[in-house]
Amino acid sequence: MNPILQLRGISKSFPGVKALEGVDFDLRAGEVHALCGENGAGKSTLMNILTGNLEPDAGQVLLDSLAVEISGPAEASRLGIAIVYQQLSVINTLSVAENIFANRQPRGKLGFIWYSQLYAQTQALLDKLQLRHIRPQSLVGELSPGQRQMVEIAKALAQDPRILILDEPTASITRQETDTLFAIIQQLKDDGKGIVYISHRLNEIFTIADRVTVLKDGRYQTTRPVADVTANDLIRLMVGRDIEFARTASSRTGEPLLTVRNLTGGRFADISFTLHRGEILGLAGLVGAGRTEIARAIFGIDTLISGEVYVHNKLCAIRHPADAVTAGIGYVPEERKTQGVFLNMSVMENVLAADLPAAQTGGWYGIGKARQLAERFRAQLRMATPSVMQRAGLLSGGNQQKAVLARWLLANPDVLIVDEPTHGIDVGAKAEIHTLLRGLAAEGKGILLISSELPELLALADRILVIRQGTLAGELVGDTATEETIMALAANA
Amino acid sequence: MQLIQTRFLLGILLTALAGCELPPRDQTGVTQLALQTSDESEEARTNEEYVMVTTAVGMPMYVNHDQAAFKRWGKQMGVKTSILGPADWDVPAQINTIEEVIGTRPTGLLINGTDPAIAQAIDKAVAAGIPTVVYDSDIPNSRRHAFLGTNWYEIGRMQGEEVARLIGGKGKVAYMGILGLNNMEDGFRGMLDVFKRYPNIEVVGKFDDKANVETAARITADLLAAHPDIAGICGFDSNSGPGIALAVKEAGKAGKVKITTVDWEPEHLRLVKEGVIQMLAGQKRELFTWYGAQFLYDMVHRTNKLSGNDTMAGISNVPNTVNTGLLRITKENVNQFLTPSGPPTP
Amino acid sequence: MLNQILRDRVYTLTLTTLLLCLVSAAVFPATFPTFENFRQLLLNLSIDAIVAVGMMLLLIAGVFDLSVGSVVAFAGGLSAHLMVYYDVPVPVAMLMGLGSAVLIGWINGYLIAYQGINPLIQTLAMMGIVRGGALMVAGAGIQNLPYWYNAIGQSKLLGVQMPVWYMGLVVAAFTFLVNRTVFFRRYYYIGGNEQAAELSGIRVRRMKLYAFMLSATLAGVAGLLLTSRLGAALSTLGRGMELRVITAVILGGASLTGGVGKIPGALLGALFMGLVANIMVIARVSGYWQEIILGLILIIAVWIDLALQRRSAGRQGLARKFSNKPSPEGVGVDQ
Repeated sequence: MNPILQLRGISKSFPGVKALEGVDFDLRAGEVHALCGENGAGKSTLMNILTGNLEPDAGQVLLDSLAVEISGPAEASRLGIAIVYQQLSVINTLSVAENIFANRQPRGKLGFIWYSQLYAQTQALLDKLQLRHIRPQSLVGELSPGQRQMVEIAKALAQDPRILILDEPTASITRQETDTLFAIIQQLKDDGKGIVYISHRLNEIFTIADRVTVLKDGRYQTTRPVADVTANDLIRLMVGRDIEFARTASSRTGEPLLTVRNLTGGRFADISFTLHRGEILGLAGLVGAGRTEIARAIFGIDTLISGEVYVHNKLCAIRHPADAVTAGIGYVPEERKTQGVFLNMSVMENVLAADLPAAQTGGWYGIGKARQLAERFRAQLRMATPSVMQRAGLLSGGNQQKAVLARWLLANPDVLIVDEPTHGIDVGAKAEIHTLLRGLAAEGKGILLISSELPELLALADRILVIRQGTLAGELVGDTATEETIMALAANA
Repeated sequence: MQLIQTRFLLGILLTALAGCELPPRDQTGVTQLALQTSDESEEARTNEEYVMVTTAVGMPMYVNHDQAAFKRWGKQMGVKTSILGPADWDVPAQINTIEEVIGTRPTGLLINGTDPAIAQAIDKAVAAGIPTVVYDSDIPNSRRHAFLGTNWYEIGRMQGEEVARLIGGKGKVAYMGILGLNNMEDGFRGMLDVFKRYPNIEVVGKFDDKANVETAARITADLLAAHPDIAGICGFDSNSGPGIALAVKEAGKAGKVKITTVDWEPEHLRLVKEGVIQMLAGQKRELFTWYGAQFLYDMVHRTNKLSGNDTMAGISNVPNTVNTGLLRITKENVNQFLTPSGPPTP
Repeated sequence: MLNQILRDRVYTLTLTTLLLCLVSAAVFPATFPTFENFRQLLLNLSIDAIVAVGMMLLLIAGVFDLSVGSVVAFAGGLSAHLMVYYDVPVPVAMLMGLGSAVLIGWINGYLIAYQGINPLIQTLAMMGIVRGGALMVAGAGIQNLPYWYNAIGQSKLLGVQMPVWYMGLVVAAFTFLVNRTVFFRRYYYIGGNEQAAELSGIRVRRMKLYAFMLSATLAGVAGLLLTSRLGAALSTLGRGMELRVITAVILGGASLTGGVGKIPGALLGALFMGLVANIMVIARVSGYWQEIILGLILIIAVWIDLALQRRSAGRQGLARKFSNKPSPEGVGVDQ
């Protein structure tokens, strides 16, 4: 069978870095071809070349064996290539229908937008994708992150592409939605479309993909049928070493650091638990179950309706994150790019954000001291950056996350709440962050870990609290915790 | 070490204090008129530069009257003329411009008397020996050499008398202009002083049209709605007239509501001819700048010597204050202004 | 390293300014490079520069204030009104003028930071309200201000009029404070990423309130200085100043999206604009040309900045292309 899409010897350089070097890739009709590699391996660059956002320095793109030049996203979509970006490109203030048919709204005779037709077409598309709980008229901003992701996919499919590129499509969606997505992918495959699937989640690759291509440091490694490789093979190809999520030893003590009683807020009710010194306490649950909301309420971002928060057995009135920081709580948010990192500021400034006074000498802030501190954490966390004066936005996701963690290492709170700390981070950095969290617990911190990655929770957490629809569904300790038991509690299955 | 530092600081402080200079306390003192003078050779004359500093340099009325006459004068005399100032009505910017121009030593300065606050800048120019003439509105607290202009109080009186006559000494009247400007406030006062003699005239409002036609029209429309029996409206800035006229015409009350206003731009003249505006109190702006420039020239060239040495005698050889008088334009004489030989066009 | 310098507006603008001075000195040797001219030039920009320092602070925090020009007129007008019509002692009248500015800043800050009113709408509305107030207190202009009040702005030190020294003082003090105090460093974080700043324990709303109050206070100081320098209070003072100051600050390296800018940039921006105005006067070019040229310079300055960034870091250019998807991964410099 002839491939519908071929990339031959693609190279692309940016000042100071070779992003891609002689990469080959091909896609057949009716197959799901997974593309994997660490962050920085060149996957996104490759995709940006396919969608015309970037021009390759060398190499050829062939569609149906004909060389084409893709000058921009419009050209790509004319050629039948659609992409679903990892970062959402939907506009929150517009309706689902207007997002899906952005710039292509059906028009009446006079050239005005024909809304009834627009909604009807959207409804038909959503029905086809079995997304019946999304209304075409709803504002995208009112949808859950998962639903937004589905709208994004619907938007790409609305153009009836021959080639669909999915970049980390499951990063923020629930298990159920993932199943729906896989059903859609299967259907597209049966229709003879070609699908490029980019994901960090290896188990997904094994579920859905036919072949897999691995990139490492911008170089092509291999392409193999999925049936011929194991997860460990892929990891080795990606990072050049074996990584396992080994269960780590506990350093839990009996001394309570953070106790919450009967917390009730907008999207959760009656939550009570205690976090001890040296403990990693996991919070599991489906996306939208209210885990992040609980963390935000403890940290003083959202207001509590009722309930008490005790730090070191002392009742604390936390009305603002500043109060939480004073009480000795730190928070690494889930949305790294929008809430965690200061993208346009230097790594140094990022590290100092939560404890600026640390860089004072005699009451005056000094850049020398600040730099010194930042250098210390750069070394300690092995941040890959040419200088601490580098803009944080230029770092990879993993290193950005390290900068956010360094911020809290500097501020040195007793309790650290980490929300999806390895979300969208490559395998290597993920392991380092795990080690770091474990190390912090061993030093005597208490860590509240919110994660949707069950292997991560199982490897790190001493205890796991499962949240279901805003209430505490159960607690799992040690060996009783398995992916199955967690999912059973979380989904009430 | 400590001692040296202290001494050093003390030294700096003392030097600074020695360099400190308070502004002159008495503003009325006579300064020596050390005017720059010029020899009469043709070459020297073409090197002379007369600078006009105004504000809102782009305002059509200024361009068509003041600036056009000033340029014509320069051409006729064979000297260079420059026109400077901010594009908007911005008095501090006009002051900044005057003060920066002083440093470039122009032969003479012709300054639009926009606000009493420019007095200091004028005094600086005079102190620098630059002949300085103010036009349009006087800056009485300054040491300007001469002033040419119109008495705004008279403009107000003229409008007041005319409206009172037109409405038969009774009824509701309103007026508008730019609030907060000295000359206009003078005009308002003149008009109100006239109305004081007519107990049956009721003044229903003073409005700020911000020198904007649309604003003037909107205010007038509201006025007509609130007071359907309004008898007369007076305008005090260039755009008041066209704005008032527009709203009155739209309300179908042209000729019924009596309108007087200032200025005689083509638009104003047309409205007089149509019978929407009954009278214009016009200024002879061309004369302000023509004779103003001529005064500067006469000072520099000592055209008239009043003493052995006027500078030494501390006197000025040009008139101190000139009132160019007002134009009264009504339907009877408006055609004379509309004919091509009327107002000079640039 | 060179790229780093070229990307810092403080350096590029200093360079451009020096170049402009050299060219002007060559073209107008008799009138431009004189002590008198520079003294005047600095005096003329000093008021704008003081307001620009406050505006720079606001822009660093990612907000701005359109009411500063009106505050200049109101604070000056109120003090003048009090001392001329009510014989209030000069220092008390000045304090009351300043107090009114602080209050206006507080209202702006409170409604924007705590009630969530858009800064554009809030300060635009406040600009009109305060201008109306200025018209009320200053009326047709207040002359004959007390001698000692005028002395504040009209005295000279080493031949240079006082407002220039005050400007130097304000710029130096704020440059130091913004560089060396934790309090002011926080504004960079707020402008850089408001949410992340909040989650790092910075009280964003309170800090914004303070910024509006500070900026309004500086505008009040500018108003007092301007009336004192002119020896008169006018209701039209500071008209159009807000946009002029924002232009200066953006020229000086601030961005409307916040998070960047340095205090000396505010001075440099004002200096550059003052210089352009000065050269226009010396070259006898009329007012509207000045506005056209300043507009063009602003566009060119921002454009050159973007071009430099694009050239010096391909990745940033890429990031710009995906404006709604900042910094795509996969072009890593580091792994």
